[in-house]
Amino acid sequence: MAHILLRDLDVPDIWQFDTYVANGGYAALRKSVKELSPDEVTKIVIDANLRGRGGAGFPTGRKWSFIPKTAQVKYVTVNADESEPGTFKDRQLLEGNPHQLIEGAMIAAYAIQATAVYIYCRGEFWDLAHALEDRIEEARKANLVGENVLGSGWSCDMFVHLGAGAYICGEESALLNSLQGLLGQPRVRPPFPAQMGGGLYYWPTVVNNVETLANVPWIIDHGAEAYKAIGTPESPGPKIFCLSGHVAKPGNYELPLGKTFRELIYDYAGGIPNGKKLKAILPSGASGPVLPATDEVLNAPMTYESVAALGSTLGSASFILMDEDTDMVWAAAKMIHFFKHESCGKCTPCREGTYWLDQIYHRLLRGQGTARDLEQLERVPKQMVGVTLCALGDFAANPVLSTVHHFRHEYERYIKQPALEKAGAVAEPV
Amino acid sequence: MAETVTISIDGQSYQVPKGANLVDAAKLHGTDIPVFCYHPKMKPVGMCRMCLVELGSVTVNRESGKPDLDEHGQPVIRWQPKLQTACTQTVSEGMAIRTSTAKVVEARDDILEFILTSHPLDCPICDKGGECPLQNLTMAYGPGESQFLYDDKQHLAKHVPLGELIYLDRERCIQCARCTRFCDEVVGDDVLAFHERGRKLQIVTVSDPPFDTKFSGNTTDICPVGALTTADFRFGARPWELSEVPSICPHCPVGCNISASTRLDRDSGGKKVIKRIMPRQNEQVNEIWICDKGRFGHHHSLSSNRLQTPMLKKDGAWVEIDWKTAYQEVTSRLQKYGEKVGFLAGPSLSNEDLWEMRKLARRTCRDCQIGLWPATMTGLEAVTQAGVGVGTHLAALGPESAILVIASDFEEEAPIWWLQVKQAADRGAKVMVANARPTKLDQYAKCVVRYEYGEAVEVLNHIAVFARRHDKLNQTLVEGRVDGFAELEADLKGKRVPKQHSEAAELLLDTENLVIFAGNEGLTLAQQAELMQAAANLLILTGHVARPNNGLVAVWPGANMQGALDLGFSAEATVSLLDNPPSMWVIGDADPVAEDARAAAVLDQAEFVVVSTQFMTPTAEQADLVLPVLSFAEREGTFTNAMRRVQRFYMAQTPLEGALSAWKVFAQIGSALPGGDKPRISAALVMRDIAQHVVRYAGMNYTDLAHVETQFPDVGGHDLYYGGNAYANHGGLGIQWATNAEKENYRLTVRPVSAEAPKYEDLTLIPIRLLYNRDVLFEPSTVMHARIPAPYADFNAKDAAQLGIIDGDQVVISAGDLQINVSARVNGQAPTGFVLLPIRLSQLPVPAAPAMCSVQKVEE
Repeated sequence: MAHILLRDLDVPDIWQFDTYVANGGYAALRKSVKELSPDEVTKIVIDANLRGRGGAGFPTGRKWSFIPKTAQVKYVTVNADESEPGTFKDRQLLEGNPHQLIEGAMIAAYAIQATAVYIYCRGEFWDLAHALEDRIEEARKANLVGENVLGSGWSCDMFVHLGAGAYICGEESALLNSLQGLLGQPRVRPPFPAQMGGGLYYWPTVVNNVETLANVPWIIDHGAEAYKAIGTPESPGPKIFCLSGHVAKPGNYELPLGKTFRELIYDYAGGIPNGKKLKAILPSGASGPVLPATDEVLNAPMTYESVAALGSTLGSASFILMDEDTDMVWAAAKMIHFFKHESCGKCTPCREGTYWLDQIYHRLLRGQGTARDLEQLERVPKQMVGVTLCALGDFAANPVLSTVHHFRHEYERYIKQPALEKAGAVAEPV
Repeated sequence: MAETVTISIDGQSYQVPKGANLVDAAKLHGTDIPVFCYHPKMKPVGMCRMCLVELGSVTVNRESGKPDLDEHGQPVIRWQPKLQTACTQTVSEGMAIRTSTAKVVEARDDILEFILTSHPLDCPICDKGGECPLQNLTMAYGPGESQFLYDDKQHLAKHVPLGELIYLDRERCIQCARCTRFCDEVVGDDVLAFHERGRKLQIVTVSDPPFDTKFSGNTTDICPVGALTTADFRFGARPWELSEVPSICPHCPVGCNISASTRLDRDSGGKKVIKRIMPRQNEQVNEIWICDKGRFGHHHSLSSNRLQTPMLKKDGAWVEIDWKTAYQEVTSRLQKYGEKVGFLAGPSLSNEDLWEMRKLARRTCRDCQIGLWPATMTGLEAVTQAGVGVGTHLAALGPESAILVIASDFEEEAPIWWLQVKQAADRGAKVMVANARPTKLDQYAKCVVRYEYGEAVEVLNHIAVFARRHDKLNQTLVEGRVDGFAELEADLKGKRVPKQHSEAAELLLDTENLVIFAGNEGLTLAQQAELMQAAANLLILTGHVARPNNGLVAVWPGANMQGALDLGFSAEATVSLLDNPPSMWVIGDADPVAEDARAAAVLDQAEFVVVSTQFMTPTAEQADLVLPVLSFAEREGTFTNAMRRVQRFYMAQTPLEGALSAWKVFAQIGSALPGGDKPRISAALVMRDIAQHVVRYAGMNYTDLAHVETQFPDVGGHDLYYGGNAYANHGGLGIQWATNAEKENYRLTVRPVSAEAPKYEDLTLIPIRLLYNRDVLFEPSTVMHARIPAPYADFNAKDAAQLGIIDGDQVVISAGDLQINVSARVNGQAPTGFVLLPIRLSQLPVPAAPAMCSVQKVEE
């Protein structure tokens, strides 16, 4: 089947404006602006049941419909902060098929009658962001972006903004703060971004992931029914799965939602190298609970709802695979160190909890862990879950709780004898 | 309480104000929800997570619109699965919370354990210990012990200066952002910020000079831990040793309620001394804020330069004498000079001092003039008629109100009002600033009117004209109670209103409330008098009188200028004294020699000058007899602030040996004169005299002035979380005297005012007031010296170019006989043709009113 999102794999040079247009590009935007009302566009997307690809899986069309029509200023913000460990799908879209994102973002902007679109790129996307500006300029010259789009009387310009390299700025309200030039810390909600007072510069704002918007042109072109024919009823459409770690052919795979883990890993990605056994899967980067590679897991379909039923989350579908040789304590320590580094520090449980957990893991890895440390690895994350301002606190708890639950015996190997307990620890983070 | 909603707290139903914050609403009914980051004066941010509660709402049946009921007839409540932060909730009908369930208790315990993992627990040496919200809340809600290993603790810098006034202890900081939010939200000064992230998140100052705001000290009050401390108090005393004495700030007309934290101090010979000054809550005056001048400007009372014995000048040399001799010296001279005695009162004498001085003057001779210093402002009549209504509450003004600030650099002259007006603007109040030059309030104003110095009156006249033409007059009031309208109308008729002024008028007159703050910048005494009358005219005609949040406030140059005016002292009398100099002067706590060359010359010619003073000021140097008096901290008394609120201050400090209260001194002198009565034995009895003789103060007494009520939001007293023992107001909220407009049987008078503006053709010098100066009461606070600028004058770029001077040049300004050496600033403040010269940046006099001047560059 031809790709819907990763069309650069099918069409060489589709990143070029002419190639994109020659392959049906911008027809959907033309159709939207010329033939459809904003509400009709929104309705098509609602009917297609497109769910947000950034991680939470919130229905995109409904998000658009929350924008108050009376607001004088409205924004679309594209979340291209892609900073979840193991996620690299947006990067390929932005590099390989940028005009599809621009088109999707403009359709979203048309649907809410936005005054501007901001694309927030993570700080490391330096080259990409500059190239993207050139692509936007091409669209602007073709009157697809900017003043009086396609002669419709509706004007909407598009800007690219580079972040400064903070994981938390992928969280939508922290992203908005960062975009405004404020410290990248999440905001109190309500008001939500779609409401007055909650969005960019406090105007109603739709924040969508790159991959989400890249779906939109196809939906407008082919209709909601065609889109729903792909994937499952609850999770329709194609999804890009990012595979990394111990896998023969790492990379991005675009598949309809609903394929099983086994199909993806063994049929498409060539299985685990060196004939090793798969031990665990991180289905959504570092932020979701680890799944042990049991048959139950491998045979489960990859949809938002079925992964949730397994006790994890599909999130951004960035699968980090770990083979039988992987030290799960070490892996969890890496993730905690990451979250400690990336916690914005705004709210107490996450700021202090990640620091505390990081100290414990360092002690474990140095061989100075005690039974008490293991107790705390079960207790401290629970103190963080559900009480933080944004989801980062929950994310940070996930790898700890899930690895302790599934791989407790590996932790116990690290625990020293009780006699050593009083020796305490020398805290010196690596 | 206006509109209310019903909420349920732990199963109990309560009526709470609609739109209130949940934490405040719960506290109103005695339920403490612990908080660290939340503060009732700032927007909630939900950072610390300490206020987690179970939150639910009554389910309402869609068909009937009534709440669903369970089998017991109680409304069914749908509880949210996760705990919610109470501080981010606004109360709504049917809201329900549970604040003491096991889930909530455990969550609080967990949060406190987290916060304490990073906290140094150095309570035994911490300045906050004893009044620390973290300490209090840990005792109330915290875990008995921590699971965290002490060795894992992060150690951070403990003495980080954020400027020279405030120090940061990074270890103690719990990242609640109260300090940064105070600077951003309340003050609007972008001086503090978070740096880094995660556990490295830290407070830094981003301004140059560091922590550059006039309100920095307030951050130490609202800091819920001991992370921020003040330079003059840190490691100075423990909160539990301190006793809080209610007082009133002696520095400006706002009359901030302060609390003097005192203790018996070894370094001061076991005497009771002030260790720090804290704000005391009075929502209608200063809420819970004070400026840095008020906080750090109390050190004069402990200065080693204070005078301790009366001194007589004999053959040019000072001779120490005892009080009895001093009294005799004065009485004999008063009798000798009789009608040729003039009296002059300074800006920081209490009402009791002023009353006794006035009594002394009346006893000396019937027509003795009682003058006021500085003699730059007048207008009691205008305030008496059209002053702000009793109960005016700046902290509550919003979109329904307009505020006009005219001829005043508001932040420099009345910082806390500036803060409140700025916040009113943030809430949507229509603020208009009229001045001849830019001031800091401009950026918050909906409308800025520029005029040339001297033309301030014309602006108000034009607004009155606009009001008349556009039917904005209050006809009932004008027809029923106002005299002189016909003349005023005739005067206003036919005046052309420039577009800028009509736009301003439209803005101001379109609201329910209007408050006018009138200063005197760039005005002579006569012009300023007209400005006050013009403001009164406007307010009376448009009916913006006799109601709270409406009326006139004069930005007087002193803490008790209003009291002095109320008790009969006036700048006009001072002018008359200077014009017809008496042979003998009695001066109370004023320093005319340092401020006015003409006064210095006049006093030099006098035969005998008596000065009551705390310090050997230039005026005292020039006198023949000096009488040492007590500072505001060492005695009782009352000040009347510029909103006419009479407020008590109490004795905080052991009185300086040898010095007496000024009122006592004047009373003693008076009692020795023929017909003199026995001196009163306490300030309270002097106030009783005042209440009997001065109509405005009728019925006032110390007991009523000390009356307090619960204030909302309640930040003082017994709560565990707003911190500080000083907020609680035990000293009284004060009493405002009512204006004539508020008394129904009084008639109001308007009259045409002369708007004739002088044509300034030559370079003209305009004296301006700065908050930080070398005023006699402020100079001894050495901790503030870095903030007092060296003497300077501000030039317009055009003038500077013409004079051949650039920023930083030394210049000599000649005005009349005065030669003033200053450095030049060229920074866009001064209008063309004018030089702005701050007063009291040195002990050398500068002109007190606009004056022609010439400027010479000093070649190096």
